[in-house]
Amino acid sequence: MNERKARTLVLALGNDLLGDDGVGLEAARRIAGQVDGSVDVMESGEAGLALLELLEGYERALLIDSIVTGRYPPGTVLEFSPNDFRQVIAPSPHYAGLPEVLEMARRLNLAFPQDIRILAMEVQNPYEFRIGFSEPVQEALPRLVQRALQILNAQTAPPQNAACVGTSNVT
Amino acid sequence: MMDESIQTVWNEAQTRANEAYTAQRRRITVDPITRLEGHGKIDIFLNEQGEVERAYFQVPELRGFEVFSLGRPAEDMPQITSRICGVCPTAHHMASTKALDDLYRVEPPSPAKKIRELVYNTFMLEDHALHVYVLGGPDFIVGPDAPPEMRNVLGVIQTVGIDIGKRVISTRRRLREFIAYLGGKVVHPVLGLPGGVAKGIAPEDLPRFQQLAKDGLEFALFTLQVFKDVVLKNPAYMDLITSDTYTHRTYYMGLVDEQNRVNFYDGKIRVVSPEGKEYAKFTAQQYLDYVAEHVEPWSYVKFCYLKGVGWKGFTDGAESGIYSVAPLARLNASDGMATPEAQKAYEEFFNAFGQKPVHHTLANHWARVIEMVYAAERINELINDPEITSQNLRVIPTATPTVGMGVVEAPRGTLFHHYETDENGILRKVNLIVATQNNSARMAMSVEKAAKGLIHGGEVSEGLLNKVEMAFRAYDPCHACATHSLPGQMPLVLSIYNARGEVIHQQRR
Repeated sequence: MNERKARTLVLALGNDLLGDDGVGLEAARRIAGQVDGSVDVMESGEAGLALLELLEGYERALLIDSIVTGRYPPGTVLEFSPNDFRQVIAPSPHYAGLPEVLEMARRLNLAFPQDIRILAMEVQNPYEFRIGFSEPVQEALPRLVQRALQILNAQTAPPQNAACVGTSNVT
Repeated sequence: MMDESIQTVWNEAQTRANEAYTAQRRRITVDPITRLEGHGKIDIFLNEQGEVERAYFQVPELRGFEVFSLGRPAEDMPQITSRICGVCPTAHHMASTKALDDLYRVEPPSPAKKIRELVYNTFMLEDHALHVYVLGGPDFIVGPDAPPEMRNVLGVIQTVGIDIGKRVISTRRRLREFIAYLGGKVVHPVLGLPGGVAKGIAPEDLPRFQQLAKDGLEFALFTLQVFKDVVLKNPAYMDLITSDTYTHRTYYMGLVDEQNRVNFYDGKIRVVSPEGKEYAKFTAQQYLDYVAEHVEPWSYVKFCYLKGVGWKGFTDGAESGIYSVAPLARLNASDGMATPEAQKAYEEFFNAFGQKPVHHTLANHWARVIEMVYAAERINELINDPEITSQNLRVIPTATPTVGMGVVEAPRGTLFHHYETDENGILRKVNLIVATQNNSARMAMSVEKAAKGLIHGGEVSEGLLNKVEMAFRAYDPCHACATHSLPGQMPLVLSIYNARGEVIHQQRR
């Protein structure tokens, strides 16, 4: 439905007024200066259905977000595929999360990225209004950017073995 | 209406429950795996007989907003507050902009007001549509007894059909594109300025927005029809809506125009009693004379109540200052709707229940659809207004700022912004009362009542979590989950404690 010029989307999610929650946004700003016109870089503070609107029309997408699993030290960069969330999250009527959005796009037969990767950094406290990151997140930021660029390069390169990465894949 | 002895027992029970709660919380907080702050929590405490003594509903809180704002220029607030949360950015933006008008004692020109109201109604329409089809709607459109794996947006699509699913998506996208045309990003709008707006509508763009307005109205009327077909023709749903579990006789608050008709953008705040009589009508600037906040040790949320009636605990009736906001409250607090189709739907609504006010929490879903019709009709009026392409969009403020207050009806209810500054417009005090806070006392009552209806003798009925969730989902509460930390939905933990404070049952989702 949407006419997109670029084929790949980098979509950063978060709120830069909430400390570490904004780490994806900062990563996206750094990535934006290092990609060509085949990649769009967007920031969003939304979730659910809005993601559907943003992702529609792209062939590939890389989502960058913060995450609180409590199982890894802050600053750890985790990689997921949408399937990881499908397995662990029960469908909720209250929030249409990423799995629901993907399923919805499939059922409605929308033009949607076939290749979606998710990079998320374990963060410390995304619940308090402040600007700036905690130390471990600040230190780990270049790693997040570097990993995102690696993925983008691999995505735009000819398709290789598209193995599914899971939570075990920790950078 | 409680006599003194009952009140004493109530207070003692409350104190005991609060102590038990605090003790439990201490235990849970030291557990490194449970991220208490990131969860919605419902804690239910039973007495010796296994009956519910107290139930608590907690949501994660975002801390430090006021401290964050102090020392910043007030003009930044429409941008800052719209980023509090990705759920209702436009509501905060608009309440904040109106507070700045008041702070700088400046009256925007008429076309600017119309642009603001147009954008605001567009936001209300798309946000309500989201709730109807995606967030709360699944309880109704798919059915409250449907299996959990069906009770989501996918179940809705299956019920209403793929074409309608596509229509919901495309209508919402077009509405949001219109908001973006005037305000920049939907999430970070830059439309409102003290004394006006930053941008108007170019005459050459008008026809496509007029078409959008038409389509929006058709979509709203269609949604009303879906609601009638699926929900109202089903007696089991109406029984559920009117059941005692979901009924509270409280006061209701909403913004009204000069004829006491619902208005989302401007007017006076009107409060009606549980009997439907006007209790108060006041301006944003007077809100502190009418609204007070009660603090409970177990919740981050402050519970709003009517100052003149007083806090009498979590109880309803005319003696208790607890009030409610959001769609049902707005309809109850008004004498009608300002547009024809919405007025028709309004009359049908009250006729169906045979009473006014309607005290059934779940009727919020129906009221929300009626408001969609109003928003869509109002968009049509405004987009066809001869002034709407005028470029007379701003009066430059010259007064020295001191205090400013603004109010709008957010999708989830009345939203107050209150700023105080020094003579340079630097913030010295910030107070926001958000919609969910106005509703928090009634919401807590709803959760407790649902728990009391479903737990007896220590036995927990099947489907408890969903029934309790349904109670608060009707309010469309904003859980302040501005953090989009993956996976993007609020985990909810429901725990039941016996009289010794031990967890005897736990459900998660």
